[in-house]
Amino acid sequence: MGHVLAIDTSAGTSVAVLKDGVALAEVEIADTRSHTESIGNAIQDALSAAGVKPNQIKSVAVGRGPAPFTGLRVGIAAALMFAEGSGAELFGIVSLDAIAKQEFAAQSLANDTAAEQPLLVTSDARRSEHYWALYSGLDRHGVPICIEGPAVNRPADIEASLTERGIVAARTSLVISARAIGELFEAQAAAGSLSHDITALYLRNPDAVEPKNLRDFGKKVSG
Amino acid sequence: MSDWIIRPATETDLAAIMAIEHECFPEDAWSQDNMHFELLAHHTEYFVAVRDEQVIGYAGLSKVPSSDQGDVQTIAVLPSARGFGLGRALMDSLLAAAKRLHAREIFLEVRADNPVAQNLYVALGFEHIDTRKNYYQPAGIDAWIMRLTIPQRSIGREPVVLGIESTCDETGVGIVRGTTLLANIISSSMDEHARFGGVVPEIAARAHLEALKPTLDKALAEAKLSLHEIDAIAVANGPGLGGAVMVGVAAAKALSIATGKPVYAVNHLVGHVGVDILERGQVETPTVALLVSGGHTSLLLVRDLLDDVELLGETIDDAAGEAFDKVARVLGLKYPGGPEIDRAAAGGNPNAIRFPRGLTQAKDMEKHRYDFSFSGLKTAVARWVEVAEAKADSGEGDELNIADVAASFREAVADVLVSKAVKACLDHNVPRLLLGGGVVANARLRELAAERCAEAGIELRIPALSLCTDNGAMIAALGAQLVMAGRKPSSLSFGADSTLPVTTVQTH
Repeated sequence: MGHVLAIDTSAGTSVAVLKDGVALAEVEIADTRSHTESIGNAIQDALSAAGVKPNQIKSVAVGRGPAPFTGLRVGIAAALMFAEGSGAELFGIVSLDAIAKQEFAAQSLANDTAAEQPLLVTSDARRSEHYWALYSGLDRHGVPICIEGPAVNRPADIEASLTERGIVAARTSLVISARAIGELFEAQAAAGSLSHDITALYLRNPDAVEPKNLRDFGKKVSG
Repeated sequence: MSDWIIRPATETDLAAIMAIEHECFPEDAWSQDNMHFELLAHHTEYFVAVRDEQVIGYAGLSKVPSSDQGDVQTIAVLPSARGFGLGRALMDSLLAAAKRLHAREIFLEVRADNPVAQNLYVALGFEHIDTRKNYYQPAGIDAWIMRLTIPQRSIGREPVVLGIESTCDETGVGIVRGTTLLANIISSSMDEHARFGGVVPEIAARAHLEALKPTLDKALAEAKLSLHEIDAIAVANGPGLGGAVMVGVAAAKALSIATGKPVYAVNHLVGHVGVDILERGQVETPTVALLVSGGHTSLLLVRDLLDDVELLGETIDDAAGEAFDKVARVLGLKYPGGPEIDRAAAGGNPNAIRFPRGLTQAKDMEKHRYDFSFSGLKTAVARWVEVAEAKADSGEGDELNIADVAASFREAVADVLVSKAVKACLDHNVPRLLLGGGVVANARLRELAAERCAEAGIELRIPALSLCTDNGAMIAALGAQLVMAGRKPSSLSFGADSTLPVTTVQTH
């Protein structure tokens, strides 16, 4: 498969260079408000630390979120243009899926096995909401099987929905990393389930209220 | 010893030039009208040599910005001043101008029976490439066509720069070679904002991400270039909508790393000024620039494009374009408001209603001489419409005359914009005004600017509309200037700065 550049900006800024599923270098910047400033050096530093030139990168795997809007786009835009400039092939990975893969690995769950309890993966969506998805286990290539989500809801509503249906889910405290994106990429490549879809998973509409009557404006200012 | 000075020719030199013209070329002198036109044309550079306040020689060059070839139009030295190297000095001035305008080849014609002139041109590096038979009439003398190839600096040619613009609702990718435009592709998310009556930042940012690759691919196709033929990447890192700018900045950085090409972070507003390079080969300075769009209303004093840009004033509330959008809503017109109001104003009386001109009262002019305010105007229009409609409903008045309201509103905006811009020129003794930004599409603004500038003796520059609205070509053009000036690329750590000041032309 050649070298893989993995990028995720759904939380902080995370970049990794992998070969055959093994991370050669990782750069993690936890700050969730400096994606634009960090992304260039993060990519550059990861490549240098791995001793890999841009034209050796054959695949770029990018986290699609879900994530609060602004930072997510930085990683996707960078992945898109790195692929364009280097000639690498571009793939999208659901960031929550990559967390699930990490958690199952930590539990030493074997491939082609269901977990004892379904796994609930959540991440901060701000505005008192969480992104979430539910996973049953791993398929025979080690790809997590998503049975619900990804979606965005208030934590209490997520819990209530699970309780209502008698689902007792395991939790994880892991956060997303580009290395996890790269590892899931390898598993998906083996499974033949890679996707070129890099659409950002916002799961919310833009904050804009469509005025019912655009002319209302005129009355308000004079009222 | 040279006891003359050489300076750019002006209209007032016309009579002296014509006297020399007749003395040197008794058989085939240019007409005075022709010479007058040459002196005033934008694509020419004329110089005169002056000794003891007398013009003793002149020379002219023609260089059209879209071409990289220049022509020596004429050169003449009074017989009494010949033999002291003045011809060579005038040629040096022309060649310096040609280099400044990024010409790569200079052509001239010389009489076949004038070995003195031929030897001078050969000494300057010109070669005889062709002969035109019987060119000089009525004598029937042949002309030698001579060409000088100007050596290009450092990278051996003019740099090819790709520019990325994403500061508002336009995703723009432009490509230039030096000062020559190769591609200018714009993808706008305007339609997606229409139902909200204004630009929604999050919608704009989402649209940038989706438009990025197709816009880049189209620009490369139009320029017939691959990414590997690009020498540098430029990106607008502000001012603008933060989330939107971030998309362009992240894209530019990744493109830079992947291709190994340097990246230059440039100021969006200064890009609007720099775009004039693509039409004229340079931005003539000093110039005042009036930049008017849905996001900005700024008055700049540019003494040097790369090193000395000053913000004279800006809007203290709404941008002019925003005022058009809001008033369009009041009048029940569509978004974007500019063209809609232009259409509605056709046939309307611009003097029907005297809407307020913001910040033009004496006490405001003390503190806000070059600042703008459109919020009061917008409210005044809304109130006027409301009252007029109420009167019409109760039978006290005629139905609302939308054409008059639109024309009067448009007049108020154009009047205040142009008045303050012209004032800035006069106050600072700057003989030219450059317009930029999407609101330049407004016909009345252009018309009024032309009128008032002509009255005040100010040269008005309005780039083509495709270069006035937000676009990547202007970012590329400014980036190319930085490259050609030998400026260092930006580091990879610059951010998106939504309030980037115009004094920061490049972020390092």
